[in-house]
Amino acid sequence: MAIEPASGQTGFSGETEATVRSKSSKESGLKAETLQPAKKPGLPLDPVTRQPLSPMATPGYYPGFSTLSQQNFWDETTRQVVLERVNRPPEIRFFNDPAELALMTAVFDRILPQDDRDEAHKIPIVPPLDARLYQGRINGYQYADMPSDREVYRQGLKAIEAIAEFLHGRAFVELGPREQDEVLKTIHDGKPPAGEEYWQRLNVNRFWQMLVQDAIEGYYAHPYAWDEIGFGGPAYPRGYMRQESGEPEPWEVPEKRYEWDTPPDSLSGEYSPVGGQGETQSHVGQEGTH
Amino acid sequence: MKSPLFGPFTTFAKENTKSLGPIQKIERPMRRYSHDDEVDFAIVGIGSAGGVLLQRLARAGFRVVGFEAGPFWDTERDWVSDEAGSHNLYWNDLRITGGKDPLSLGSNNSGKGVGGGSVHWAGFTPRFHPSDFTVYRDTGLGADWPISYRDLKPYYELLEKEIPVSGPAYFPWGDPHGYPYGPHPAARVPSILIKGCTELGIKVSAGGPVAINNGSHADRPHCIYRGFCIQGCKVGAKQSTLVSHVPDALRYGAEIRDNCMVARVEMGQAGRVSGVSYFDSENHLQFQKAKIVIVSGYAIETPRLLLNSTTPGWEQGLANSSGTVGKYLMAQAGNVVLGRFEEPVRMYKGPPANSLTEEFYETDPKRGFVRGFAVQTVAPLPIAFAKQMMVAKGAWGWGLRRVMMDYNHWAPLGVLGEILPWEDNRVGLAEQTDRYGLPVAKVTFELHDNDRKLINFAVKKVEEILNAAGAQETVQEARYAHLVGGCRMGHDPETSVVNAFCQSHDIPNLFVCDGSVLPTQGSANPGLTIQALAARTADYLISQRENILASQVLRHVAPPLWSDLSPGGTSGRGVPRIK
Repeated sequence: MAIEPASGQTGFSGETEATVRSKSSKESGLKAETLQPAKKPGLPLDPVTRQPLSPMATPGYYPGFSTLSQQNFWDETTRQVVLERVNRPPEIRFFNDPAELALMTAVFDRILPQDDRDEAHKIPIVPPLDARLYQGRINGYQYADMPSDREVYRQGLKAIEAIAEFLHGRAFVELGPREQDEVLKTIHDGKPPAGEEYWQRLNVNRFWQMLVQDAIEGYYAHPYAWDEIGFGGPAYPRGYMRQESGEPEPWEVPEKRYEWDTPPDSLSGEYSPVGGQGETQSHVGQEGTH
Repeated sequence: MKSPLFGPFTTFAKENTKSLGPIQKIERPMRRYSHDDEVDFAIVGIGSAGGVLLQRLARAGFRVVGFEAGPFWDTERDWVSDEAGSHNLYWNDLRITGGKDPLSLGSNNSGKGVGGGSVHWAGFTPRFHPSDFTVYRDTGLGADWPISYRDLKPYYELLEKEIPVSGPAYFPWGDPHGYPYGPHPAARVPSILIKGCTELGIKVSAGGPVAINNGSHADRPHCIYRGFCIQGCKVGAKQSTLVSHVPDALRYGAEIRDNCMVARVEMGQAGRVSGVSYFDSENHLQFQKAKIVIVSGYAIETPRLLLNSTTPGWEQGLANSSGTVGKYLMAQAGNVVLGRFEEPVRMYKGPPANSLTEEFYETDPKRGFVRGFAVQTVAPLPIAFAKQMMVAKGAWGWGLRRVMMDYNHWAPLGVLGEILPWEDNRVGLAEQTDRYGLPVAKVTFELHDNDRKLINFAVKKVEEILNAAGAQETVQEARYAHLVGGCRMGHDPETSVVNAFCQSHDIPNLFVCDGSVLPTQGSANPGLTIQALAARTADYLISQRENILASQVLRHVAPPLWSDLSPGGTSGRGVPRIK
């Protein structure tokens, strides 16, 4: 296999991300002395009052909906798998350089921002990716123009850092949310202005896809995200009765929409094609459907 | 927190027992053959084709061993009603994918474990049309089959009973026919397809054909509409060969060696294969003698195994004197067009595979390309849907969060479009090796002009259907579905790998039977055709019993239909034929 053997390093087991990050400023030689906490990102706004909406336990349009409240109606195996995910996110073992972990965390904080969630309901999305890379799990293939997934992340993070330096002259983690979005947007658009030595080995569009996909696999695998989007969650052995008219089951809740504006310091609220305008068949979906 | 009144649901089977759904159990120990025993058949890969072959050949009294690289599932212990937790159903080992339009592999189109891809197919089971077997004759492109629709029709009818397929009483396309079980109720996505098609005057099949029980069937319960079809059906309502054919195979003395990776098909004396070398579940290399080897590893692993089995005299790979092994690989265009609707849809309820139209299946010279496409309901769960929105809208960050909050307002429809077989779309070997030291597959794929025109037309047509149904916005994700080809069947040994009975042209006791033998693919999901082809191949082998047992030359005559070989409880009333 092209996957390198799993690293023997133990990582920072038992420590939270916060302690790892604070270590990074002391122990990691990499820019440790200049590391400043990034500017706190803004919150979504009420479009009428222009006031920030307070962080919530469950953002989204299904107030009071809780898939976890139904866990006693799930089958045993599914309950164990989902509760393990909620209660014991994997320890960080792959991103064992604290500076690299801080950078990865900052990138995912912009790819799937959670500033509208209260602290107790933030979804850990770096740990599932870290576990995937540590264990050498891939999705069954590697593109001929890409290195191994582990190398993709090692190189890709350096490339992001190179763009941050080029555009703003500072490390990515030190940038404000808008500047960070500017860096990531260049990759989204397929036009990174720096880091040529990395992009020679990485297809920029495929790197973006992998990055966003891994964030998605962490976030939308979590029951808190299911509550946010009104997805019913595990459904065996009970099943569903109300298929027609998009009606909720008795244990689901009807939609109650509210308007919100993207935080003004963010660039990710607008939709534009991955890789810029162009041919549509070149970015293909990865999951089975039919 | 509420709980069920009489306690939580648990149906874990006893030690040494496998649950296949909440009711069906495999309790008796499996027969074990020794390595010195020359079995009649070694089948490599127990998926859609391998499961049916194993069952038929065991019931006919042959000594059969099936090798499966993945595990023998216990559906209660191993499967979950959860998207992220279902990743082990796929072939996740390394493959290299390249070419101008590289295919995504893994979860998109591969299975690993007993039942193979049928464990996580959505379950659409349309037949191929009669025109699919004469594509080259009719259009000058693609290929012709060495068999016709009429050869396969009795096996379609048989498998539609054994699966059993739910569908409309009258299915108007191809060779019109009906189905043994009635259609499933339409959730919102099928309603939208039906509404849009009806508005535009397009015929549409309301409810099926799908391999999902609409009524309990022996010890397989009916569907509970939980929507996790492609995560493996814990209910056992959706057919996989694991729940429909494997239990019967074991009852009749077949053996399955799970977690066993076949490394090579070995050549013996007189130009015949002698058996298979494989890594057992403890990674020890073993050899099993067999009179006949059937490779059923699907469109990537089958060519890979033949190419990895080189030996003096077979430097290009086994059964590859034509140089065709690995070539003419096909995927179907699987573009998903999504429409946003004002009223909630809640696509996660009900089977994603429900309704379809084949109104655009055949060649229409006015369109400027040959062959056509089907339009089918799909219903991705949140992770898959988010990935679609990343491609379809370029969504990330707050935009991704916003569109995901609208998950319940989107209705997706899938194109299933015929991509023609091209020689340069192929499976070869990569430099990289797997954990057994075997070279992994390298897949090369590129769309050709006809394919692109077909896809563009199909996507526009689906947009029209969604708009006619009242969509406020439509977006599309380009993607591919299924894999077939790579060891195609044909009359000419110079341009094909196997003959009309799936016997390799080069080596008389080496067979290939799976999706890889398909010369073309139509706009029908290939699962039913693969199972029907396996049943026909089994009938052929059974008709040649005396020659097989004596290791003699097999005669090339069409087999009689052995309808009494169906799994228990599935024979009886027929599939309605419509004249």
